[in-house]
This record gives sequence, C-alpha cells and structure tokens, in this order.
Amino acid sequence: METTLTHVARTAAQAALLVAAAPLVTGLVQKLKARLQCRRGASVWQPYRDLAKLLRKGTVEADTASPFFRAVPVLVLAATVATTAMLPVLWAPAQPAAVPLGDAILLVALLALARFLLAVGALDAGGAFGGMGASREMTVGLLVEPALMLTVFSVAVSAGTTEVGLLAARRAPLALSWAAPDLLALFAMLILALAETGRIPVDNPDTHLELTMLHEGMLLEHSGPGLACIALATQVKQLVTLTLVAALFLPVGLASDSSPASLAIALGAFAAKVLALAGFLGLVESSYAKLRFFRVPHFLGLGLVCAFLALALRVL
Amino acid sequence: MARAAVWLGHLVIVGAAAAAAVFAVALLSGSSPAVHVALPRFFPFAAMSLAVDGLSAFFLLVIALVTAAAGVYGPSYLGAHARGPAVQTLALGAFVASMALVCCAGDLFTFLLAWEGMTLASWTLVVSDTRSEENARAGLLYLVMAHAGTAALLVAFLALAERAGGFDFPAVRAAARGLDGPTRTALFMLALAGFGAKAGVVPLHVWLPKAHPAAPSHVSALMSGVMLKVAAYGIFRFGFDLLAPAGGPLPASWGWTVLLLGTASAVIGVLLALQQHDLKRLLAFHSVENVGIILIGAGLAMLLAGGRGPAALATLALAAALLHTLNHAAFKGLLFLGAGSVLARSGLRNMEELGGLARHMPWTAWLFLLGAVAISALPPLNGFVSEWMTFQALLLGGVRLGGASGLLAGVAASMLALTGGLAAACFAKAFGVTFLGRPRTAHAEHATESPAPMIAGMLLLAAACVALGLAPGWAMRLLDRPTAELLVGAASAAVTARGPLVLSAGDAAAGAGPTEISVTLAAALLALLAGLAALLRRGRRDAPRRLAPTWTCGMTPTARFDYTGTAFAKPLRLIFAALYRPRREIVKETGPSPYVVRRLAYTGEVVDLAETLLYARVKRWVTATSHGIRAYSTGRIHGYIAFVLVTLVVSLLLFANG
Repeated sequence: METTLTHVARTAAQAALLVAAAPLVTGLVQKLKARLQCRRGASVWQPYRDLAKLLRKGTVEADTASPFFRAVPVLVLAATVATTAMLPVLWAPAQPAAVPLGDAILLVALLALARFLLAVGALDAGGAFGGMGASREMTVGLLVEPALMLTVFSVAVSAGTTEVGLLAARRAPLALSWAAPDLLALFAMLILALAETGRIPVDNPDTHLELTMLHEGMLLEHSGPGLACIALATQVKQLVTLTLVAALFLPVGLASDSSPASLAIALGAFAAKVLALAGFLGLVESSYAKLRFFRVPHFLGLGLVCAFLALALRVL
Repeated sequence: MARAAVWLGHLVIVGAAAAAAVFAVALLSGSSPAVHVALPRFFPFAAMSLAVDGLSAFFLLVIALVTAAAGVYGPSYLGAHARGPAVQTLALGAFVASMALVCCAGDLFTFLLAWEGMTLASWTLVVSDTRSEENARAGLLYLVMAHAGTAALLVAFLALAERAGGFDFPAVRAAARGLDGPTRTALFMLALAGFGAKAGVVPLHVWLPKAHPAAPSHVSALMSGVMLKVAAYGIFRFGFDLLAPAGGPLPASWGWTVLLLGTASAVIGVLLALQQHDLKRLLAFHSVENVGIILIGAGLAMLLAGGRGPAALATLALAAALLHTLNHAAFKGLLFLGAGSVLARSGLRNMEELGGLARHMPWTAWLFLLGAVAISALPPLNGFVSEWMTFQALLLGGVRLGGASGLLAGVAASMLALTGGLAAACFAKAFGVTFLGRPRTAHAEHATESPAPMIAGMLLLAAACVALGLAPGWAMRLLDRPTAELLVGAASAAVTARGPLVLSAGDAAAGAGPTEISVTLAAALLALLAGLAALLRRGRRDAPRRLAPTWTCGMTPTARFDYTGTAFAKPLRLIFAALYRPRREIVKETGPSPYVVRRLAYTGEVVDLAETLLYARVKRWVTATSHGIRAYSTGRIHGYIAFVLVTLVVSLLLFANG
C-alpha cells in the first residue's frame, strides 16, 4: 500500500532526478552533434559548468525594465520545475495519488505559463529582438498546443484518464505492442517534441542571429544568475518533454516497489529511453536545415493531421 | 452636488448588489424552495411574476459580483472624464436592475420587458459617453442587432404562450412537453438565434466589439462580463428547462449546433482579438471567445444529457460551462476596469501609443497581469479551472459518445487548446505593449496611478479570480442547485469527490480511475519552487549589478525600438491570412536618391469575414430592395389604398378557412 509519505518522497526523488539530469541531456545532444560534424566537441558536463559560471557572475539589466523583469527567471524556473512532479520517471502509480498534483493538461498549462511569462518579460527591455523572439515563440507555442492536445487525447481515450502516471501504468502491460493509432500519435508527438524543445527544424538553439532565433531572442537581455535560471528551465523543459513522450508511448520498465533490483531496471530503462530520444533530437538537428519561419506551420500541421487521424481511429 | 448624487447612486447600486449576492448565496447553499413573487397586474392580458430558482440565483450572483466592483469603481472613473454623470448613473441602475430582472423573471412577458429594458439602458450608456459619429453608429448597429434578436425571441415566445394559454413558466413548460420534435427544434433554434445575437455568438457578433468599448469602462465590464451571461442564461433556461422534452435526451441537433457555434466563436473571437490595437476592443473580442467556451460546455452537456451519457459527465460539462460563466465575469470585469484605468489616466485606448505604464501605475499593471493570466487559462487561476473541467468533459464525454459526436468532442478540445494558446499570445501582446517597455507618447509617460476606489474595484474582482482558482471546490457547492435543476446530479458530486481542494473527473462506469488535480497544491508547489529559484537567482552576494541601456544596434535607444502590437501579431496575420484577408499599404517618400527615405507611412488592416461576407451582402440586398420599392412608393394616396385592399383580399383568401 502506497502511503502519502512514500508518494511524496518518490515524487520529490523523481523531480530531483529530472532537474539534475536535464543539463546532462543537453550536453549529450551537443556531444552527439559535434561527433556527427566530425568535431570532438565539449565535454557532456559542459552545461553544468556554464550554469555554475553564470551563477557566479554579476548582472546587467536594461534601464527601462520594470521590477517584473527581475522576477521572470524565478517564475519561469518555478513553473517549469513544477512539471517534473507530474511525470512517472521511475515509479508508476497503481492508483490515484493521495496528493494529486496533476495530469497532462496541467503539465502542458504550466509549460504554457512559463512561456507566457518569458514572452511578457521579453517585451520589458524595450529592444526589438526581445519582442521578435516573444512573438515567434508564442506563435509556435500556440500552433503546438492543439496538436499536443489531440495526441494526449488519442492516448488518453484508451485509458480513460489524462494523469500521465496512471496512463503509463495502465499501458505498461501492453508494452510496445503499438496499434496504428499509437504509431500515428507517436509520429505526431515526435514532431511536436522538436518544436517544444526548440530544436531544428523549428528553432535553432545555437544561434543569436535575429533571422533564425525564436527562444534565444527572448533571453538576450537576461544575464548572470537570471540567465542561468532560464537556461536551466529550458533544459528541464527539454527533458520533461522527452519524459512525457516516453511515458505516453514507451511505458516499459517502470518500478512498482522500491526494491533495488526493480529500481535499477527502472533507472536503466529511463536512461535508455531518454538517450534514444535525445539521439533522435541530435540526429534530426544534424541532418536537416532550419525551416523558414512561415514553413513551420506546415510542418506542425503534419503533426496536427497525424494526431487527428490517431484520435479518429480510436474514437470511430 | 452632482458629485454627491453620483456617489450616492453608485453606493445604492453597490448595496443592492451586496444584498443580491447574500440572497443568491443563501438560496444556492440552502435547500429552501424556489422563491416566487407575484407582481401587481400592470397589464390586463398578462400576470407578471418573479421566480428565483437555483439557476436564477447563480446568475444573480454573477451579476452582483461585477456590479459591486463596477459600483465601487464607477464614481471616480466618471468624475475623471464623463459627460452627464448623473444620467449615466441612472442608466447604470436601470441596466443592472433589468439584468437582474431578466434572470428572476417568472414568466415570458416579464422576461421580455426586462430584456428590452436591458437593451435600451445599455444603449443609452453606449451612446452617451462620448458623442462621436462612430459611437452613434455603433449604437445604431447594436440597436438593430439586439432588436433582430428580440424579434426572433418574440416569435418563439408567442408561439409558446399561445400553446400554453399564458406566459407563466410552469404553463409554458407543460405545453412544451407536448410539442412534436420539429416544432420543438424550430423554437429552440429561434431562441438560440435571439439569445445568440445578444451573447455575441459568431456570426452574430459584429455589433459587440463596436458597442462594448464605446460605453464607460465599468459599463463595458458589465456588458462584456455580465450582459452576455444574461443571454447565456436564456440559452440555459430554454435549452435545458423550458423547451426540454419530458425525460429522455435532448435532440442531438441542439447539442451539435451549440457545440459547433461555441467552437467557431471561441476560435474566431480570439483570432480577431489578436489583431486589435484598441485595448477595449481587444477585450470585447475576447468576450466572443469566452461565450464560445461557455457554449462548448453547454453543447456537450446537451449531447450527454438525458441518458445518452452518464449523468455525472453531463453534470461535469454543465458545471464547467456555469463555472466559466462566473470566472469570465470575474476576469473580464477586472481587465475592463484595468483598461478603464489606463484610459482614464492617459486618455488613450490605442496600445501602440502607450507603453511603460507599469512604472507609474503599478497596481493597475499587476492586477491587469493577473487578469491576463486568468483569461489565458493558465494555472493557478480561475480560467484554468473551468477550462480543465471542459477538457475533461470533452475527453470523457467524447469516449462515451463515440462515433461522429466523439470525434467532434476531440476536435472541440483541440480547438479549445488553440484558443488558449491564442489568448496567451494576445495577452502577452496586450500587457507587454501597454504596460512594459518605454512610453511611446507623452500621455503615456505622464500617466499616474488611479485613485483608491478604482483600485478597490479591481482588487475585488482579482480576489475573486484567485479564490475561484485556488479553491474551486467551494464554488462547486454553489453549482449544485442549478445543475440538479437542469439535469439529474449535483455538480460538486461530479468533481469534488476528494474534498473541496481536489478536482476529480472520471467516468466510474468505464472502469478507469478518475483524473485528479489540485490547483491549490500546484500553487503551493509553485510558491515553494519560486522561493528556491529566488535563492538561486540572487547569486553571489558580492556580484556586481548594474543598469545599462538596451542594445539597439548602436543607435540611441528610443521608444521606436520597442516591438509594437502590430508587429507582435504579424506572424499570425500571415499564417491565418485566409481568414484575416490582411491589407497593407506602404507610402514611401524618397529624396533625390531612392536610398534616402524621407517619410514612410504604413497602414494595415484585417477584416472580419462575417462582416464582409455576410453583413455587407445583406446590407447591399436591403439597399437594393429599398430602391426597388421606391418606384411603387409614389406618395399618391390612391395607390396606398389599393395596396391595403390587395393585402386584405390576399389575407382573407389565405387565412379565412383556418
């Protein structure tokens, strides 16, 4: 019997794991990209060093910014990290939790809250780049949302709940026996994951060139510890997105108790799933060019159509 | 003297609102029978009465909430720039009273009289604030649309009254039981058209974004936040109660129509809102969106009601719609009052001329931001709660309905998600461009904070937004009576199985466990994590912190570098170009060389397709027909007598046997 205390402890442990591992995933993708470009690349631990460096630095703030600007990194990080408490990483709950934190809809809404706050903050500094990044990021975000909702629904229809943990637990016995709707939904989800993590072909995380940037444009006026908070939030959001894909479509290896053996299996399975998905991100980023911004709706439209078909196959 | 009269009038209104709120809450939380009051017989042909049941009381509460805030806010606002404040105070009182009367009417006749009073009082407020030709035209369009709607209602009411042999609701209800299917549906569609015209349902919304912003801002708050809800009350009252068949499901065509209209209104309303620069107009378009969201819940409840789906799911859908009614009243009221503060202190409504207000008007700015988060359906505020319930009802109901209805529910859910995303983009723009960055004009630069009563009005609604978001279970209790009256099953039973702080939605019969969230807990988690993040954000104690101008590529930073609202919405203007049909014109004046630009002028606009495709055609047709008739309208009395004679003979031939 799962008591409230163990549930809280497990949630906290999973959240801590996601936050701690998030920079590593970014480092791994960077390393993979470097290898694919025949470079040696920086160490996979480089993102941690960057964060540590930024946290030690001072800050330069725009003289036009309001007090809200200082609060933006804090709120964005809090909203993003809050989503880590809603995902099954190592354990799959057998029944609804005693302290229900949330479901896929709340998770998506919290990520939307973080995006909203970041975009509003970007308009505060009074430069054109911030506004441009905010406008584009909000546009991509709102194009992702309907397809994401359809995808989540098409999966949730088979389990009757949108709570990600329960969904994963209920689909775990099916393991990888995918039916056609699952494949379509997975395809849609992978397209959306590229957009949500801000990767090529939707966005380019490596550039500050004004013609190509979306997410990075909003960060231009942040510096020092504030920038570190936002960078960490971006990395956590990436890992949360990958974990969501894994929970919805690859719910294997989740532990149901706390014995060392099953925990080791769960940890290994989680690492394997995230590695595979991170490899996918790196591979796509290395083999495609960034799309022109006004082509992005077509790309995301493909995801929308697939998600719609998946739902239609499930419901009809 | 006049000032004291205005204050006194508003205080009376606030007092009445407080009393109405206490009465409504008492009725909703108790189990006392519905209140019925017979009115003196003014007219020989109709007995008039008031009847307050759960549904009426709930809408009375919605009216009272925004009225109280608007009443506190009003005097200072009117004092700032109104003309004829005494007349406006009187009209405000009449407006609020007739809205309350519509919701409390116990018969069709009282309903119609109050409905008409509501239209006329609000029209007075629309045209009296600023006397411009634009306002007069907006008022005229409002009057025409409102009366076209009333005409549809009148036909439905008279058809019902004739069958019932009276105007009284119980008699009408009994008569409606005996209607055959097609007549029932025809009457419902007439009522839906009539109420839809007032509620701003697409494509009957064109008057709304013109008329609502023209009124004084606290009246705009009432028109957008409450008057539309009174129209929604009509849809609830007629769809679920008066016209409903005895037992058994409602006709599927009703649910489909309402769900489709709701989805279209939600998406089109918010898409048009995104392209507005006028702060109040933008908010008015968002009302179209939110009425759409309410109708999505109502339509789904109609599809599920009466045994087609489990009672708990129909209740969940209806509760979501009703809760969103209350939520929208709170946050839209707050936003309109905020926009009113901006207008009162800067004299501007165009956000492209504002900017940087957050520094001088902090209260207004942060309360507006709170409203923006709430209306964008972002946690942990109230907009998220009702949209979460709508999503859950769509998912669970869609699974239950299956087939085409199930797919429709899925599509509605994805469109609702799109609506949420668009609303967030729209309010990132509205808040960012108006309150952040640099002031774009001297008016914006010298604006100062509003007086305390105006802030108090906003604070009241902001508190409602927070309370409804963090502890939605308490509000659910108030919904028990209305939902139990319209359907079988109580709202709180559908969602608060685990106490008032946890929302749970599930279909017990389907064998799946419920989905549960606790917004309270999520908010606590957010606060905790924000505390931790703030520690991280503080960095090293001795780290330097300095201010510097924003980098603007080497040029002197001025307000012209701030991203404008037009630019912010440009990607969407291009992506949804098929809907917006954007038009732009750039005039470039060059010097001796084509590379030296002396002057650059940009004008751009988007159209409302309903206006160009539908209304422009209707207008052309009416004008052409009028011209055609003119040939026969010669002014000679003999001709007219001949027309009357012919009409009489034809009528006798047609109807004499009947």
